[in-house]
Amino acid sequence: MYFFFQVALSGIATGAIYGLIAVGYSLTYMTTKALNFALGMWVMLGGMLTYSLTVLHAFPPLATFPIVVSALFALGIVAERFSVMPFLRAGSDVWVMSTLAVGFLMIDLAEIVWGRSPSQVPAFLGKNPIYIGAVSVLPQQLLIIAAACVTFIALDLFYRRTLLGKAFRAVAHSSETSSLMGINTRRVQAVSYAAAAALAGFAGFLVVPLTLAEPQLGTVLGLKAFAIAIIAGLAAPRGILVCGLAYGALEALISGYFYTGIRDILGFSLMILALFLRPEGLFGKAVEERA
Amino acid sequence: MTERFVPWLVGLALAALIVLPIFVQGTYYRFLGIVVFIYGIVAVGLNILAGYAGQFSLGHAALMAIGAYTTALLTKALAPLPFFAATGLHIWFGVFAGTLVAAVFGALLAFPALRVRGPYLAMVTIAFGWVIFKILQEWVPVTGGDLGLSSIPKAQLGPYFFDTGSFYYVVLGLFVATLILQYRLINSELGLRILAIKHSEIAVSSIGINVYRLKVLVFVISAAFAGFGGTLFAHQQNYVSPDNFQFFSSVFFLLAVLFGGAGTLMGPVIGAAVLTILPELLQDFEKFRLIIYGGFILLTLYFLPNGVMGLLAARSMGARRTAIDSTVVDAKSADKLATTVGIGLQLHNICKSFGGLQALRDVELRVEPGTIHALIGPNGAGKTTLINIATGFYPLDSGEIVIDGRPVTVRSLDDAANQGIVRTFQTIKLFGNMTVLEHVVVGCARHSTSGYLGAIIGRKTARHEAARNIAIARDIISFVGLALYENMPANSLAYGHRRLLEIARALAVRPQLLLLDEPAAGLVAEEIHTLGRLIRLLRASGMTVLLVEHHMELVTSISDRVTVLDYGVVIADGPPAAIQRDERVIAAYLGNPHAAA
Repeated sequence: MYFFFQVALSGIATGAIYGLIAVGYSLTYMTTKALNFALGMWVMLGGMLTYSLTVLHAFPPLATFPIVVSALFALGIVAERFSVMPFLRAGSDVWVMSTLAVGFLMIDLAEIVWGRSPSQVPAFLGKNPIYIGAVSVLPQQLLIIAAACVTFIALDLFYRRTLLGKAFRAVAHSSETSSLMGINTRRVQAVSYAAAAALAGFAGFLVVPLTLAEPQLGTVLGLKAFAIAIIAGLAAPRGILVCGLAYGALEALISGYFYTGIRDILGFSLMILALFLRPEGLFGKAVEERA
Repeated sequence: MTERFVPWLVGLALAALIVLPIFVQGTYYRFLGIVVFIYGIVAVGLNILAGYAGQFSLGHAALMAIGAYTTALLTKALAPLPFFAATGLHIWFGVFAGTLVAAVFGALLAFPALRVRGPYLAMVTIAFGWVIFKILQEWVPVTGGDLGLSSIPKAQLGPYFFDTGSFYYVVLGLFVATLILQYRLINSELGLRILAIKHSEIAVSSIGINVYRLKVLVFVISAAFAGFGGTLFAHQQNYVSPDNFQFFSSVFFLLAVLFGGAGTLMGPVIGAAVLTILPELLQDFEKFRLIIYGGFILLTLYFLPNGVMGLLAARSMGARRTAIDSTVVDAKSADKLATTVGIGLQLHNICKSFGGLQALRDVELRVEPGTIHALIGPNGAGKTTLINIATGFYPLDSGEIVIDGRPVTVRSLDDAANQGIVRTFQTIKLFGNMTVLEHVVVGCARHSTSGYLGAIIGRKTARHEAARNIAIARDIISFVGLALYENMPANSLAYGHRRLLEIARALAVRPQLLLLDEPAAGLVAEEIHTLGRLIRLLRASGMTVLLVEHHMELVTSISDRVTVLDYGVVIADGPPAAIQRDERVIAAYLGNPHAAA
């Protein structure tokens, strides 16, 4: 039993990262029906910036955090303006490609700036494990879980309590009607894209001490987060957190009890099965097409 | 104009591809050529699925891997046998088997993929690709794990072993064959169905086509192309490993299709060529490779949002609004339409609830064969729900559907169409930029007997049948008065013409009972008059017409009988004159004067 909790807890920390990235897909999907397919690269950028600031320039993590998040937000605004908006306006699907192209640019830039070799980033709260009973947990892992929970609660309040959040939900339902109601849908779309980028950067900031800082850091994370966003249902932010945590734990348990090689085979097969049983996602609402 | 030059351009390019290797020294360029052709074949397969049918896949590298590993394992096992060593048949057997196994996996992938759409479909295909990739890595005894399989036999025919120089021509030939196959497929009736599915699955179903089977077929065809490309890849490289078939390779194929122009014949080829050759040219800029690659894609998208070929194939001619008086129902074409034996439809005790809301309660409806029957009622009365039940779009909670005296079950829209009931929709459902003629031909194609394959290999009977279907479609089009617009894309038609086109498409299925859901909505007076004439001519041909309508003048002028629904209950049923005087009907529409407190 001790082993179970030990493994599950570290899995949940990974899952919290998945959830943070995954909700970024949901943010843009809800407002524009478009996805930033290269969100994993934005995670990487957040991680690399964190590496630069904390390791190379000796910034404290607490000062690094706002810099990383606001830098990615600003970059997100710029990227949206040039790589998404022109195509959304034309009603074309090529944002699939354009967002990926931006991702390629980012990987290459990261390789030029930081090199390909991985580097260590020290954990923000030290590396001595904390013991909860017999189960040990890294402070960084606890930090990640706490940060994800806080972020999701904030996001929930944002959607339900703030005017801008309500505008987001309105645009999600119908951007045409929203714009008739005086909502600046353009701004909502740009902000949702930038917010997704900032969240990805936040995830990168949190995860980089556990992984290594390298230009391929976000690729698989981004892909798995996409899978989780889909499994939960792109329009169900709460479900995304639940699915993220559950998938992280499941993954860790499969590795722990079987072996790592079979982890993704089982994990992704289960995802296909889940989508087969509930095509609109586990937490999504079915929208019946009307005749 | 540009279209006239296309055959010349293609011919010229082909000639260049045949002749060039003679002048170019070294195997590098031939090798590059082979890779382009193989990727082109896979991209063509993806184009059929993503470009034409609109079903994006990010798992095609895995299907290619299945083809490659199948032939690698088979040929390695068979090569030592003397018979195969002498004839080289194991290679071609392996190519065939690899293609086949990939097609089977395509069908397996279709099973979950059919239930989802958009990004959810992308996810299913990504997960599929990931699972296959991981299996290749982990199933070491069979796949060799990360090291892959090496010393795969070279392509061989009899005693002759192909080297890069000669294999170039083999692959070129197969590549050209693939393009011809794609051309034939897209221009066949099956191709029209595939195009239609991208725009509206419901409408495809309404003309009697089983959408489910059609989509599985498209997945299978697409997977077969990918697997075929994979087998060629294995025999070219003589070595395969999971690295060749990563997620990024799947992204590459989708990029190739989108870059060249999704849903165009040559687009995927151009995309595959550019995206394969470009990184080779950029080898000197190793450090900036992805930057140039990404920047190049972005710039192309800016200037060519529909891909390279999209520029040439710009089909939309802009919305054209023409005076409605050009729409004339052609009674002469009506004579040419086959006479119909109209069927009767009876609905008994139909009940339907949505959650707590009872939309229909014990509804009785009796439509006599060969009559025009109108179903009216205020908004929310349950008219469309009743139609949806009669055409199998919704399952009924209880009650009975009787067609021509036989109790039947109607499972789906296409099931209804096959039992003679074809419908139109309150919100028009057309196939985007497909032309007027194409819309109606798709409807006719349900009656084709020659099968898909006949059309693709160009059998004579299939060609005759296709020609006959076009002739029938033309008659129907002139009957509804759209002859002038035959080659216009549907999305550039005026609103009234779209309504007529939807009716024409339904007529092409040769319904015995035509169900029109608010056909007059949004039409101007003159168009409604035309519509009335058209419906009467249909009755004259023997067809039964069930009409859901709000426009009372139309209803009273053409109907033989009227049924009135209010709050899910039948409140009146009788000839139009009686209905107009019925107090309950007047109360339902205008409010009950006695009920006012």
